[in-house]
Amino acid sequence: MKTGRVIFITGTSRGLGLGLAEHCLAQGDTVCGCSRAPATLTDARYSHYELDVSDEKAVVAAVRAAVRRHGRIDALVNNAGIASMNHALLSPAVTAQQIFATNFHGTFLFCREVAKAMVRQKSGRIVNFTTVATPLRLEGESLYAASKAAVESFTQVLARELGPSGITVNAVGPTPVPTDLVKNVPAAKMDALLARQAIRRFGTIEDVINVVEFFLSPQSEFITGQVIYLGGVNG
Amino acid sequence: MNATDENKTAAVRRIILDLLPPEEGDNPRIFGAGAPLDSLGLVNFLADLEYRLAEEFGREIVLASDRAMSRGRSPFRDVAALTEYVVELLAE
Ligand SMILES: NC(=O)c1ccc[n+]([C@@H]2O[C@H](COP(=O)([O-])OP(=O)(O)OC[C@H]3O[C@@H](n4cnc5c(N)ncnc54)[C@H](OP(=O)(O)O)[C@@H]3O)[C@@H](O)[C@H]2O)c1
Repeated sequence: MKTGRVIFITGTSRGLGLGLAEHCLAQGDTVCGCSRAPATLTDARYSHYELDVSDEKAVVAAVRAAVRRHGRIDALVNNAGIASMNHALLSPAVTAQQIFATNFHGTFLFCREVAKAMVRQKSGRIVNFTTVATPLRLEGESLYAASKAAVESFTQVLARELGPSGITVNAVGPTPVPTDLVKNVPAAKMDALLARQAIRRFGTIEDVINVVEFFLSPQSEFITGQVIYLGGVNG
Repeated sequence: MNATDENKTAAVRRIILDLLPPEEGDNPRIFGAGAPLDSLGLVNFLADLEYRLAEEFGREIVLASDRAMSRGRSPFRDVAALTEYVVELLAE
């Protein structure tokens, strides 16, 4: 029985986050989502918080409102993320700030606030988002890969800090999936990237959902601090 | 200190004491050498405290603020220090 979970998913206005939210709603879950833009999803079991994940005050208010409304949060999926393709020497400082603000600080703030509720519940699941760009050390994605390396490291330490409270913390690292995030990557670059995977195709939203559901499943209570990459990429 | 401030201080102190294991004395220690909570205990206690403060005062405060971390002496060391610190955060 999967229905009835309360799940907070960040970055639900489009792409993987939207697909995940739709999947969870179809399973009977209650979903809280967020993005800087207004909701693109309407469902009686969906509530949307319009916020920037790097805004501490907004994150605190949204998470606590969600806990008050639903009484608990069973799972947090930190999907919101941005990428930037550029040679390191051509990257403006502000890009580094923005990428770390969304990918790392956003993940940290949501983990911190939701984990407070989970510590009180003595249970919970957290799934963070990384990318194969990190283990592949992809040229042209130094800032993006570095921000996700920070997410991976944070995931592994947090797993140890929250283990005694019955909370698991893991990460999924998708290969390229055709969403807005990768639409500006040149075709030749994309082919070269896919060629480095053991299984050379684009990922799908279903591939990502499969790993997230594995981490969320009740049987996975002994799986924590792990990073699973899609497509046969190794860390 | 006016009457409402005094009430607020008393209410904060009561909530803090409520959440701690029963201890002797006027100003029980919370965290640090010889104190009852270990770091996991402190994490649980602070999560509960934020929740109770929100219920009581309708304010979402974050106890792990820059202000707490930049102090020479931890505001989490004993009940008096934590009460004073929470009252300050509530006044912001
Ligand atoms: N697609 C891929 O090929 C791929 C591969 C590996 C990893 N990933 C990871 O998967 C996750 C989702 O990617 P995606 O492809 O679905 O991206 P996407 O299509 O660009 O969607 C990103 C979502 O995150 C939200 N978002 C971005 N910045 C935000 C911020 N500061 N505050 C709040 N919400 C924010 C966006 O909404 P707003 O713009 O309205 O805020 C949007 O809903 C990311 O963490 C990404 O790094 C994706």
